[in-house]
Amino acid sequence: MAVPDIKPDVKVDPGDLQDQKISSYRSPLGVTHTKTATLEGFTTESGFQFDQLEVSYQTLGTLSPARDNAILVCHALSGDAHVAGMNPNTGRPGWWDYHVGPGKAIDTDKFFVVCSNALGGCAGTTGPACSRPDTGRPYGMSFPSITIRDMVAAQTRLIEQLGISQLFGVTGGSMGGMQALVWAAEYPERIRVCVPLATCTSHSAMQIAFNEIGRRAIRSDPHWNEGNYYEGRRPAHGLAVARMVGHVTYLSAFSMTHKFGRKRQGPNVSRMQDAERFAVESYLEHQGESFVERFDPNSYLYLTRALDDFDLFDRGEAAEIVRRIRARFLVISFESDWLYPPAQSRELVRLLKRGNVAVTYINLDTPYGHDSFLIENPPFARVLGHYLNHEYRRTNP
Amino acid sequence: MNPNIYRTVLDWIPEKSSVLDLGTGDGAFLERLVQSKQIRGEGVEKDPLLVARCVERGLVVHQGDIADGLDQYSSGAFDYVLLLGTFQELMFPLEIIREAFRVGREVIVSYVNFAHLSVRLQVLLHGRTPMTRSLPFPWYRTRNLHFLSLLDFQDVCREAGIREVKRACFNARGAIRLLPNLRAEEVVTLLH
Repeated sequence: MAVPDIKPDVKVDPGDLQDQKISSYRSPLGVTHTKTATLEGFTTESGFQFDQLEVSYQTLGTLSPARDNAILVCHALSGDAHVAGMNPNTGRPGWWDYHVGPGKAIDTDKFFVVCSNALGGCAGTTGPACSRPDTGRPYGMSFPSITIRDMVAAQTRLIEQLGISQLFGVTGGSMGGMQALVWAAEYPERIRVCVPLATCTSHSAMQIAFNEIGRRAIRSDPHWNEGNYYEGRRPAHGLAVARMVGHVTYLSAFSMTHKFGRKRQGPNVSRMQDAERFAVESYLEHQGESFVERFDPNSYLYLTRALDDFDLFDRGEAAEIVRRIRARFLVISFESDWLYPPAQSRELVRLLKRGNVAVTYINLDTPYGHDSFLIENPPFARVLGHYLNHEYRRTNP
Repeated sequence: MNPNIYRTVLDWIPEKSSVLDLGTGDGAFLERLVQSKQIRGEGVEKDPLLVARCVERGLVVHQGDIADGLDQYSSGAFDYVLLLGTFQELMFPLEIIREAFRVGREVIVSYVNFAHLSVRLQVLLHGRTPMTRSLPFPWYRTRNLHFLSLLDFQDVCREAGIREVKRACFNARGAIRLLPNLRAEEVVTLLH
């Protein structure tokens, strides 16, 4: 891929809110908290039965008296339930604080926002790091396979517990976008608006390949120990490498050139034994290390498998599945996203339109790669905000 | 584009019909159609900034290049397909009209008449590529790829088996009835 010309008028993004060192950032929501819901009895697609599931979730804003203003936000691979507001445990803002809050694209003055940690994750929802009820020891690799549909099934139970029979909307990017698609296709009566961002209906060989590099890095770490590392040292090195590879795929040649170029750390003439020579190297090192502190390596294996296995249309003819959809759609892709390229979104849009779904599609030319939906991005925020507000007014005149 | 063309199209389209507007721009006209005729409308536009303007108006809009075809739409999905102001900018306009007839029952096209008197005089007297009210850009900056006249358009329709059901011709002062190929600056036509 050719490195694009440097455009001096384009502001270099400060990165997403989860991994950057952000000290000056203040959320207009102040400090927000997550809660935990308990779901009694849950069977996965693979047939595994949980007596109980714990689901970590956050709600922002107020549910309207008609209970018709709820928006479910689904996080991507490395996200969590803490979508916006300052997290008192980490001192960091929620991962989508740029776009969720009072007066923001997803306006918490208008909408009741729900975000839950995905099943199989490691931030409060039941996952491989949790204790098995029968042994009292962590599941590790005895945790059942998890699918995107399982994640959504757990969300439907949470939404029921919150007393919401129909969501106004479901949105999310990447893995979150896949969940939004499942909501529209499998629970057509429970969602009015679907906004999948930078996502696809199934992974390509390239997307699977990058995930497999990450998984292999974790499994080949000597501390992985077939997933039984919870009492000893964790496969931190493997997870850090997985994150480094992943992070590169979320950026673009443009954003890397702008952030780092060939900037060096320390002297211009470095010796072979110096660990880091270029700025991009220490950036990736930091990405890997900070990720290790907050993410469970086994969760990384389970969630990336769920991503790779996902196929929205593996249960019948695409046209037949699309015909069931009742929701209206806004599909957004980013021209510089080479991990989930616009062609995948266009194919999704084609299938939806051929099924007579009302779809608005925009391919924004934001130059920051797959991360474009996570960062401060005014053109993206404007489109998302206007769409949600118009659609809400359309159904509630 | 001549504002009379928009007024004419508003007249031609019955209430509550479904309309696909190709090259919808910022969506101003499509919004007028939605509001005054309660149509079910959708726009196609290639410029993401203009697509964003359409979203701000609450329109259903698809970012795409008409030249790539209309494969995303099923056959007979719309009552009307509009191609206003962009016809002469398309590399293969006849193929797009064929696609428009696949997805729509009727097609409304507007174009600039290159046989207008002032065009003819400029070529004849000055020997240079004409610039007029409806052809405002110099040859090196125009987006027009084809230069056709009303008679050219009629010939093409005849060859393609397309019937012109209605036609309206305009110059800056208003509607033209007499000698349209000589006097009309812009033409809008409803095809079946």
